[in-house]
Amino acid sequence: MSIQKQMKTLEYDVLVVGAGIAGGESALNLADLGYKVLLLEKELSIGGKMILLSKVFPTLDCAACITTPKVSEIARHPNITIFTGAEPQKILKKGSHRFEAVVLQKPRYVHVADCTGCQLCEEACPVSVTDEYQYGLVGRKAAYIPFSIASPRAAAIDIDNCTLCGACERACPTKCIDFTQTPEEFLVKIKSVVIATGFELFDPLKIPRYGYGKYKNVITSMQMERELAPTRPFNTVLRPGDGKMPDNIAYVLCTGSRDKSVGNPICSQICCMYSIKQAQLLMGALPMADITIYYLHIRAFGKGFNEFYVQAQDMGVEFIKGKVGKITGKENGNLVVRYEDIKAGTVKEAEHDMVVLSVGVLPNQGISGVFENEELQLDPFHFVNQVDLMASPAKTSIEGVFVAGTASGPMDIPDSILSGGAASAETTSYLRKESL
Amino acid sequence: MEVEKGKTAKYLKEKHIVPKKVTEQLKQFNRTKKSILNALKEGDKTVPQLAETLNLSTHEMMFQLMSLLKYGLVETGEMDDMDEYFYYKIKSDGKNKS
Ligand SMILES: Cc1cc2nc3c(=O)[nH]c(=O)nc-3n(C[C@H](O)[C@H](O)[C@H](O)COP(=O)(O)OP(=O)(O)OC[C@H]3O[C@@H](n4cnc5c(N)ncnc54)[C@H](O)[C@@H]3O)c2cc1C
Ligand code: SF4
Ligand code: SF4
Repeated sequence: MSIQKQMKTLEYDVLVVGAGIAGGESALNLADLGYKVLLLEKELSIGGKMILLSKVFPTLDCAACITTPKVSEIARHPNITIFTGAEPQKILKKGSHRFEAVVLQKPRYVHVADCTGCQLCEEACPVSVTDEYQYGLVGRKAAYIPFSIASPRAAAIDIDNCTLCGACERACPTKCIDFTQTPEEFLVKIKSVVIATGFELFDPLKIPRYGYGKYKNVITSMQMERELAPTRPFNTVLRPGDGKMPDNIAYVLCTGSRDKSVGNPICSQICCMYSIKQAQLLMGALPMADITIYYLHIRAFGKGFNEFYVQAQDMGVEFIKGKVGKITGKENGNLVVRYEDIKAGTVKEAEHDMVVLSVGVLPNQGISGVFENEELQLDPFHFVNQVDLMASPAKTSIEGVFVAGTASGPMDIPDSILSGGAASAETTSYLRKESL
Repeated sequence: MEVEKGKTAKYLKEKHIVPKKVTEQLKQFNRTKKSILNALKEGDKTVPQLAETLNLSTHEMMFQLMSLLKYGLVETGEMDDMDEYFYYKIKSDGKNKS
């Protein structure tokens, strides 16, 4: 299908796809150099996964305190246009320094510029459904602000769960809720593209023997991240199975990583460290709690990482070199972890009252299908291929398309920011070549 | 069709049929909400106590109760004698009209 004429046409220098920390950093650097950037984010808020974290390893800085100023700088920058709820449908290369993208923006049913974030619509809405931004731990309304530090901090209507009762509209003081909004398509002309579509989390339902889904006190690390964040779903860290305050928590590292049987043979690079971080935070939140980490190897290779690991040991976190075979639930909600004690060479069992699965990083593959007339190559693990890893790490198989952050492989926040910086530098030098 | 600001839901109602699942879900939530608030009117309760009173699983009760906490209808009280479960109570600031 050829690109239709009646779409609204927009022109920018660079299209950045994905507004996590990597895409945000790239957009900001390019905008500071005077380039006009269109930043696309499929979710209702920019900030990616980082904006939902508690604190960050290895400094234990509050994630929101680092993300919020950055996010507002991005949101306010005169050279950056942000579309939330928007994804590219297709991207065509039309020649050197010439790309055309078709972008689809889903209706939010709220005029963001007029929304004050007063939450009166939320209060008025009678519907309660599962809150995806709290990873299913609690409910939210059908008229809702995604989370309190969202950017934009504006309401949205979840049309799939809305009864169209109109209560939100009647409550809204600025009359910014608008059910007449429809999906919009734009034709975007750009000179260059940055792919910063991030990563997906491993779905632990794929390992039924760990009992995720069946036993409600087995949770993922992202759910624990939410429980520890200032914008947490519960009043404190509690078991989702029954509201008990846990006092004996276990971590299962490498859930869905370094495991050929689930199709992901590589190391996720961040799980050891974020689990050690959470263990330290839990010891602060629940001073009486015992924390056990079942690991195969601890990968503490980054700056300050090994010290961070030793610090956790000194605080009393127990590290057991063991391969977890099976998790079974008891009547009282506790969990029996059956594991191979690698040092002792025997199979053992231990009881915990909560288990956290340290789920791994998976590639977000969808973006490669968007490129229509040239192939965006993926690497053997389905991340965006870095065709010249040593000399130009942001380069992809398509000239003029660059990659930033975890779209190219697992990495932590500092590396995602560095990678976002590299992508913006390589994009700049590409754009400069046009004017030569 | 001329659409009046602040009354646009009516307009979409003509084009978009609300799925039955959505209205059922709303009825279910209203029922559970009412029974939880009624049970709490009789005294502060923990999640397992509420689950037993309402004959719901403790997990479902936790989800519903924490949602009501978020919506400002319920608040957290004291901890039980075993230091295991919090008591929850009706929020006292008068926001709750049901
Ligand atoms: C439980 C957990 C704890 C962590 N703790 C730490 C920590 O303490 N310290 C640390 O350094 N790192 C930590 N990390 C790692 C950190 O989250 C990542 O390094 C970082 O978020 C990567 O940023 P990113 O921008 O590459 O990807 P993401 O954060 O995944 O952002 C990608 C963005 O692109 C959007 N997107 C995807 N596809 C499209 C599309 N087609 N169109 C438009 N938008 C799209 C997504 O919605 C998302 O907003 C943790 C990770 C997890 C899972
Ligand atoms: S119209 Fe929809 S979003 Fe608005 S209050 Fe009613 S159910 Fe909630
Ligand atoms: S949509 Fe209206 S009622 Fe809802 S937060 Fe925005 S301004 Fe307030």
